[in-house]
Amino acid sequence: MAAAAQVGCGLKRLLLISLAAVIAAPAFATTYIVTIAGLGGEPDYETRFELLANDTDKILHTGPNADRSVETLQGAAATKAKLTASLNRVASEAKAQDALVLMMIGHGTFDGAEYKFNLPGPDISAAELAALLNHIPATRQLIVNMTSASGGATEALKRANRTIITATRSGAERNATVFARFWVEALRDAAADTDKNGQVTALEAFHYAQTKTAAFYTEQKHLVTEHAQIDDQQRAGTFTLVRYGSIAAETSDPAKKELIAKKEQIENQIDALKYQKSLMAPEDYRKQLTNLLVELAKTQAAIDK
Amino acid sequence: MKVFGILVLCGLSLCAQSLERARALWRAHDYDGANNEFRALVKANPKNAAYRVEWGRLFFERFNPAEAANLYNEALGIDPRNAQAYLGLAEVYADEFSAKADQAAEKALEIDPKLYHAHEILARIALEDDDTKKAASEADAALAIEPAALDAIAVHASIDLLKDKASDWVARIGNRGKGFETIAHFFVINRRYDEGIEYYRKAIAATPDLWSAHSQLGVNLMRLGNQEEATKELQLAYDNHFRDAATANYLTLIDSEKNYDTFTSPTSVLRLNKKEADALKPYFEAEIARAMATYEKKYGFQMDKAVQVEAYPNHGDLLVRTLGLPDEAGILGVTFNNVISMDSPSGRPPGSFHWASTLWHEMSHVYVLTMTNERVPRWFTEGLAVHEETATSPDWGDRLSPEIITALRDKKLLPISKIDRGFVHPTYPGQVIVSYYQAGKICDYIAQRWGSSKLVDMIHAFAKNEPTVDVIREQLKLEPDAFDKDFLAEIDRQTGSTVKNFADWTKKIKEVNELAKAGKTDEVIDQGRAAEAMYPDYVETGDAYSLIAEACLKKSDRKCALDQLGRYSKEGGRDAATVKKYAKLLEEDGRLKEAEAALERLNFIYPLDPDLHDRLGNLYLKTGGANLAVREFSVLNALHPIDTAGSHYNLAKAYAAAGQKNKAREEAINALEAAPDFKPAQTLLLEVSGESEK
Repeated sequence: MAAAAQVGCGLKRLLLISLAAVIAAPAFATTYIVTIAGLGGEPDYETRFELLANDTDKILHTGPNADRSVETLQGAAATKAKLTASLNRVASEAKAQDALVLMMIGHGTFDGAEYKFNLPGPDISAAELAALLNHIPATRQLIVNMTSASGGATEALKRANRTIITATRSGAERNATVFARFWVEALRDAAADTDKNGQVTALEAFHYAQTKTAAFYTEQKHLVTEHAQIDDQQRAGTFTLVRYGSIAAETSDPAKKELIAKKEQIENQIDALKYQKSLMAPEDYRKQLTNLLVELAKTQAAIDK
Repeated sequence: MKVFGILVLCGLSLCAQSLERARALWRAHDYDGANNEFRALVKANPKNAAYRVEWGRLFFERFNPAEAANLYNEALGIDPRNAQAYLGLAEVYADEFSAKADQAAEKALEIDPKLYHAHEILARIALEDDDTKKAASEADAALAIEPAALDAIAVHASIDLLKDKASDWVARIGNRGKGFETIAHFFVINRRYDEGIEYYRKAIAATPDLWSAHSQLGVNLMRLGNQEEATKELQLAYDNHFRDAATANYLTLIDSEKNYDTFTSPTSVLRLNKKEADALKPYFEAEIARAMATYEKKYGFQMDKAVQVEAYPNHGDLLVRTLGLPDEAGILGVTFNNVISMDSPSGRPPGSFHWASTLWHEMSHVYVLTMTNERVPRWFTEGLAVHEETATSPDWGDRLSPEIITALRDKKLLPISKIDRGFVHPTYPGQVIVSYYQAGKICDYIAQRWGSSKLVDMIHAFAKNEPTVDVIREQLKLEPDAFDKDFLAEIDRQTGSTVKNFADWTKKIKEVNELAKAGKTDEVIDQGRAAEAMYPDYVETGDAYSLIAEACLKKSDRKCALDQLGRYSKEGGRDAATVKKYAKLLEEDGRLKEAEAALERLNFIYPLDPDLHDRLGNLYLKTGGANLAVREFSVLNALHPIDTAGSHYNLAKAYAAAGQKNKAREEAINALEAAPDFKPAQTLLLEVSGESEK
């Protein structure tokens, strides 16, 4: 059974790699990012939500992230009308190859039939939000709904090529959430970049926030009142949220093409070896892995020279 | 009239049959059936107090004292002079170690002076309070009414045996196991577990179907680590209908033993939950060794058997392990001879529990109990253990809490001759905590006035089974009353100002918190300092030190913030975020060693925080503490952090710095297995593999 599970895991990774090649954003595509911090209802929450929105805005404006259009709505500006205007602007500017990220921080409600995101003035329902998003031509869309009861919005927001992350499993999880705090932390903490490729994807940020949220409840001895969900891990794995390095420049350097091809070949060998891990003697696996990793390191050093 | 008379007679006869049926079902262990019969009886005879009392006894016997007390109180509602109901209440209260037991027993005797069992209850309570004179007198009163009164005989026997004297009373118990069980109870509450076990065995030998004794034998064997026999005895009791919460809980706990790893050394046995064993082991092993070395030297005594330490991540499991019941929240650790059971750092929310302080506290008990052969009053062993916490490090141990301040204000400290009662039969909520504080302060005071060696002299005096008042007279050359007077003067000197200002402080600290929320930095600093001066020990949520530090940082006054956070740490503040902030400021100022010390404190509080080990490991790498960096990053990896590649890489760096190239290489490979393109790990791999120059 363990071997089968391991093989399944390896297979998933290979699929992920191939999907990454297919879905990866084309050059010159723009990512439109809208962050909105809703109504806090009381001073503590108002402050908390605004801080999270501010931090997100700051992170998204830092580093090599020029290929993106960032808009952050908070406080009195975070109204239904402003959100509608913002998404309509994206709808008018974006093209099919572009991407959209909508991050929602705050409180939500779910009455058993309809989810609403609490905003100053009228709230916005999941159905209304879905209608606005559906007008946006950007094919790749990521909705990160971090409010209470956010799981209640998933059904209404579902659409092909749209990845949905929610802080709660369903609309019935109604307590204020802590997921948003750790999601924003993931965007600024290099530890969230688990594959160390210089960028944090939506999947990495999700795992980071999910793990830290779970640890928060365990440590505080509180009943767990939120269970974050993601509807498509593979697609989320290809959705880059923040970057730390200049990967694009490296891959486009013609002088290094041969070495880069060699590097890719070794990487593929490593993936194939990992795929076989559960079927191999541990010492044999370790020996082969070590040889390949040393070779990869030497190749990378040559590229970097 | 004739018809009515026949109906009444039939009714009485039916009631008698029903009562007999209830008793028969009870005897046949059909407790549900008996309960139903009593319910029907009480329903048919709502004005009959005696039925309620007897039904209450069924509940009491079947481990439901709360329902028993309800029925006794209902009976008293019907018949306010029902002596048996008062007796029942006295039993319930005595079982809970409640101070109300005395009153209930005395009320029963006032109504029925021949109720010898009430004298027996009073005798037991007195002996639990170590008041042997009253215990003997009450036992005599019971025997005057009923010469065969078993509990009275057992109390007399216990008085002698606890003084290590042979007792003629033991022979008078004969083959009545209950009497030996009572003696065992007194040995156990005096922490003389080996002798308690011996008498439970005698109880079972005399009365093999005394299932309560089987259960208690199992409980106490378990406490001393003899799990195999404990399981057998507990299961036997359970299978024979003795299913109180402790018996059932112990058996459940035994089932979870497979979740623990055991690490042995010549001097210790450490048991940790598998989930956290790798992360906790380095710190626990180091502190066990350090504490044992310290106490060996200080007390001039070497343990001749290994000390066992068990840490439970689930606080409920600790309570079951020690008390059998999962609903007593205050306990952090318990020592049974050479076995320490305590909360794991994960057993309580981070920042609320100093595990190392608890370990040193319990370890002191191990030495004192062993050195005195368990003949030491509770106040002294607890007081010495509390004293040792802050003697180890001033920021360890407990701070002066609001409930202690209230007790000091209300002059609720007990005279030294009666201080044990505060532990055994508290008369107000929080008295146990106050008693710990007082006992600790007494030992501090003795060490301060007569020197630490005097405490060791007192250990030896108690080992001779001398009572507290005699030890005070002999060792301190003071009458107990004079000691109390001097001690209270010292406590007043230390705490008088805080006690006097406490009411003002509660208003002031609220005001400071509101000012902080409003962002009024200058006022926070000004008023916060005033609050701090009133009650410097307060380092819990909303404390003045942290609020002032925040205000200072808002004003870009780093020196002021550092000063405040330093004082917070020195006073024993345990909030990880606050301490980390302090360490970060120190590090930014280049005060790396101080930053290390600040973070090291957190390892004694919550060592299961990955971020702590990441920060501390990196600090050690900067200051050349390669081996400590290895420890920190090894623990980080044991905690399965989100950043697997990063944590293995850090460990690889630490090994490389420590000159352990092979291990560094293995860890670099572990890092690269998770993230093959991780450049710093690639560079390190080439370096430690000797490939970087090729």
